[in-house]
Amino acid sequence: MKKTLTVSGSVGMFIKTTKKLGDNMRISTRGRYSLEAILFLALLPADALVSTREISEKTGISDGYLEQLFILLRKPGIISGVRGAQGGYRLGKPAGDITVGDILRTVEGPLAPVSCLDKESCPSEAECRTRFTWQKLYTEIQHCIDALRISDLVRAYHSMEETEGAL
Amino acid sequence: MKISTRGRYGVRLLIDLAEHADQSHVPLAQIADRQKVSARYLEQVAVILKRAGYIRSIKGASGGYALSRNPVDIMIGDVLRTLEGDMLVVDNPRPGEEESLLQRCIRTSVYSCLNERIASVIDTISLSSLVGTRDDADSPMYYI
Repeated sequence: MKKTLTVSGSVGMFIKTTKKLGDNMRISTRGRYSLEAILFLALLPADALVSTREISEKTGISDGYLEQLFILLRKPGIISGVRGAQGGYRLGKPAGDITVGDILRTVEGPLAPVSCLDKESCPSEAECRTRFTWQKLYTEIQHCIDALRISDLVRAYHSMEETEGAL
Repeated sequence: MKISTRGRYGVRLLIDLAEHADQSHVPLAQIADRQKVSARYLEQVAVILKRAGYIRSIKGASGGYALSRNPVDIMIGDVLRTLEGDMLVVDNPRPGEEESLLQRCIRTSVYSCLNERIASVIDTISLSSLVGTRDDADSPMYYI
């Protein structure tokens, strides 16, 4: 399967290329680690700045990988960075304005389950019996991730924290 | 997050067989030709589908493949899981694997939602619905 990535090669080198059965619908580590790092940032007090090293220590995601992901995530303003000795990263906008879909599309590229859906048109569209199924799948995937905001995850996190603290 | 060619061609192979159920069996070369796929590749997919009991093969010069189940009873989700391994967006946690609260929160909020949505689509689409509606009266018989 050709990966439709608009990402520079330096990020690509971290991506496993093993193609065993069942890997295909997987969200890559790029997507999973980005969600983790962003939720981590969202849980910090407003305006707190953290370095990728600190995030790395707390999440176990490699520092270098985080740097690569943050380059991508800075472009659409999902996170912002402040240079200098006291610098670091924080969310680039309110957690309520960032959706899971924004993050996944930024680091994973197009999320269509088959690449023909990303194209304007397909020569065999009229006789294609499967396009409808793939389109429906794509629509459901998009609905799910576009309805989920980082603020929802923050809320879910706190309620899980409470429940587990009570145990 | 892509369905592999194996999954896509496998579904097309089954649709093709369902659409040509008036023939007792269809040579793979015909399907490959219609679907514009290499016969060699399609053969690999056919082997998996045969092993899983979706199709049966008839050997010989006039041989080929035929569905071994009624298309109404073949759900696309089952076919895709047969061909793709599973249709989950992340691996299930391995036994004994420590998951942080951060990871668990994302799993329950995001990945579970995606897995459920994906299943809700593919587990409600049958092969027959992709072939198009047919009257029961002229629907062909399928032998197992």
